[in-house]
Amino acid sequence: MNMLTAKPTKAPRNAGVAAALSLVVPGAGQFYLGMRQRAAAILGVVLGLGVLIQWVFADLGVGEVTWGSLTTSWLWALLALLWLWNVADAYGRARGRRSADAVGVLLALVIVYYIGWQVTDANLERLFSRFEDVKGVLNALVHPDLVARDELGAWRPSENFGDLVGKIVHKPASGLLVALGLVREGALVPALVPGKLLETIAIGLMATLFSAVLALPLSFAAAHNIMSRVPGGAVIYQVMRGVLNVVRAIDTLIWGILIVVWVGLGSFAGVLALTIHSIAALGKLYSEEIEHIDPGPVEALTATGAGLLQTIRYAVIPQIVPPFLAFTLLRWDINMRMATVVGVVAGGGIGFFVVETIRKGGYEQYAAALWLVALVIILVDYVSARWRERILVGEVLTDKRAPRPLARAARTALMAALLLAFFAASWSLSQIDLRKLFEPAPTFWQVVGDFVTIDVSPAVLQVVSRQMLITVFQALIATTLGALAAIPFSFLAARNLLGDSPVGKAAYYATRALLNFLRSIEALLYVAIFVFWVGIGPFAGMLSLAITSFALVGKLFSEAIENIDPGPLEAITAAGGTRLQSVMYAILPQIIPPFISYVIYQWDINVRVSTIVGFAGGGGVGLLLNNYFGMLQYHKAGTVVAMIVIVVTVMDFASAKIRERLV
Amino acid sequence: MLKVENLTKVYPNGTVALRDVSFQVPDGEFLAVIGLSGSGKSTLLRCINRIIEPTSGRIILDGVDLTALPPSEMRKQRRQIGMVFQQFNLVKRSSVLTNVLAGRLGYLPSYMSLANHFPAADHETALKTLARLGLEDKAHVRADSLSGGQQQRVGIARALMQDPKLILADEPVASLDPVLSHSIMKHLEACNKEDGITILCSLHFLDLVHRYATSAIGLKGGQLVFQGLPQEIDDAQFKEIFGQEAERVTIL
Repeated sequence: MNMLTAKPTKAPRNAGVAAALSLVVPGAGQFYLGMRQRAAAILGVVLGLGVLIQWVFADLGVGEVTWGSLTTSWLWALLALLWLWNVADAYGRARGRRSADAVGVLLALVIVYYIGWQVTDANLERLFSRFEDVKGVLNALVHPDLVARDELGAWRPSENFGDLVGKIVHKPASGLLVALGLVREGALVPALVPGKLLETIAIGLMATLFSAVLALPLSFAAAHNIMSRVPGGAVIYQVMRGVLNVVRAIDTLIWGILIVVWVGLGSFAGVLALTIHSIAALGKLYSEEIEHIDPGPVEALTATGAGLLQTIRYAVIPQIVPPFLAFTLLRWDINMRMATVVGVVAGGGIGFFVVETIRKGGYEQYAAALWLVALVIILVDYVSARWRERILVGEVLTDKRAPRPLARAARTALMAALLLAFFAASWSLSQIDLRKLFEPAPTFWQVVGDFVTIDVSPAVLQVVSRQMLITVFQALIATTLGALAAIPFSFLAARNLLGDSPVGKAAYYATRALLNFLRSIEALLYVAIFVFWVGIGPFAGMLSLAITSFALVGKLFSEAIENIDPGPLEAITAAGGTRLQSVMYAILPQIIPPFISYVIYQWDINVRVSTIVGFAGGGGVGLLLNNYFGMLQYHKAGTVVAMIVIVVTVMDFASAKIRERLV
Repeated sequence: MLKVENLTKVYPNGTVALRDVSFQVPDGEFLAVIGLSGSGKSTLLRCINRIIEPTSGRIILDGVDLTALPPSEMRKQRRQIGMVFQQFNLVKRSSVLTNVLAGRLGYLPSYMSLANHFPAADHETALKTLARLGLEDKAHVRADSLSGGQQQRVGIARALMQDPKLILADEPVASLDPVLSHSIMKHLEACNKEDGITILCSLHFLDLVHRYATSAIGLKGGQLVFQGLPQEIDDAQFKEIFGQEAERVTIL
């Protein structure tokens, strides 16, 4: 026998036995062939789909067919096909052939997406049949109520613009100005009455500031490398991590509903809700950053005989300042976005304004709010990204002895004064009233008690898990639609593909602008349009999520394309390949793994967001939660929140694991 | 006098890094620790100041059994044991001066040092030490703007700030260009000769051992396989420590 062709031979396996085993238990044949992972995957998928088909058939009547006296789901037929594929796969594999994986995956996907489509009540036809009705709204969107003509026919900021941004009113002068001799007693002086947009900005700023300050000490308690040096630290670490994860799993808006019971409706409730959620999010990011520091300086200082506090001060803090600042700026960006919607439940800010105007049918006023929100958020996004870049790329200071200490001191003092004034203005604008924290509404503790003792009766569990299922599928379908739509646009938004021709540049900037604009508005604010268009329900929520997914995934995809290795592209072009060929052979193979990773990440985000689209009529658990709160059934509301925490945590964990394996 | 008696270190994953190592270092020695990567050199040095907790055995420094001390007492003992690291272990974003002053932290109460305030005398000593190492003009520069050789000199300055009796140097020149190695070794030699500080230094190159060390120990697989004068390391000894495959290389 030729040495070169000799292969380590496995024990021979009988194809018939493998097929028979797989016929009895899916995956058993593959297990018999020694393919454990494949066997587990097949068994898991078949069992999972079986449970799902039965569930949605019994609970929601999905796929119902009547066949004589028998009423059942036709999806069982698809599952049977999947089962047969698994038998064929075991048989083929035993004979050393690679069967078509695509068939099995496709069958499973058809089942999942059919169910998803049905439970989210998706009906594309309604998008067209009701288009006539929504024309008015779309028309209003391009005619936002920002300016109006006065009696003389001149353009002036409209009343609505004043409500949103702020208006100048003439008030009697304050005692101080009179005392200074600047104005006469009783004279009218102009004063700015800030609008909802300024209030929103103040909410976002205050929440970021508070959460950064409060997350700082907590992050040390959640950092493994610090806590392992403290007696009893292992316990503190575990508890801290657990608390941060649970708090983070509950969306800002859900915190908003709870906080309103505590301090009442208003901007302050919004600030608190944002602060609580951000503390958990920042605490996690901060603590991970502490865990990733260079351990060298810590070791060096320990060796000098420095104590724990000294080591933290001199070896840990200098290392974490830049990433902490960067994360805080990133959080500021996120908080500004959340501040635009927190008012939907908590009152205050532009979210509250939107709910009010929609109720009154003021779509032109709503449009004005959307445009201004987009403007502010795009600006914040840009500023935050630029600052982060500057902090992380970092200035290397060569000499700390300043050349002009006086000028520098003056500048520092000026900056400090400005910041202080800004802080004071934001404080009063967001109506912060710390006393309210200690004077909760009389029913508050009763509510908390009810809320914590969740209702686990089967009837409630059934309703909650049904809505949770809808929420998860809503996120899945929205992610899929958004990502599919994003693929062509992401190529148009990638600078390296479009070249320097005027047409290419125009396409690039136009696509980027579209994606940035759509991304700057939260899903919850889109819901209002879709509720009017396709009616209240999960379909409206799903479409809103699809729009934001399209924008975010489009941005991430285009960045992935921009970050590819240009070598293969060059090689294909050099070999005389066309533009399309280079996409097929040089770009696609490089971008498929990051694309899949981003889609899973987006699904994870969408599950979180779809828990709240129900607050504005988008269906899913949000609607249920809102109803339970409205009817003061806090036990049941507690059940919903507990379920959200579980599902979001599982999704978070699973998505992180899958993405880890992909990259 | 440093006495190491029957030192053994077993890591939680079962790796035996040191196996029953015993030796003595009289005051004023420059002891070279040689051996392959993974032979236990770093573990040995870190067991001496208990940055790594020994599994069994004793470390006795001037009659004090370090292995028996509670953590607070151990901290006080660490003040007289300086340490120099292969990767320098400076805080990159802090200034050179702050990095050097950090060597005094063991002598200062926490509340005073937390505000980056050090006694004037310490400032003076820090600047003098930097001058001695040829870095007087770099005091206010960020540590990561220095070259590798300069960073290691800052590391030595930090150790000297402790006013140590003993310096543990873990591969102090392994991350540096060969040309710079001699400059760093000469500074360590000066600490040894001029200040009378005992030095334990792990090294890769036999050349450097011959040139700077007054005595040497060899480790192989966590066990002591050689103890004697640097000149005694002949070819047979060399093969014993570094294995049959090893070849002698020289640097400059």
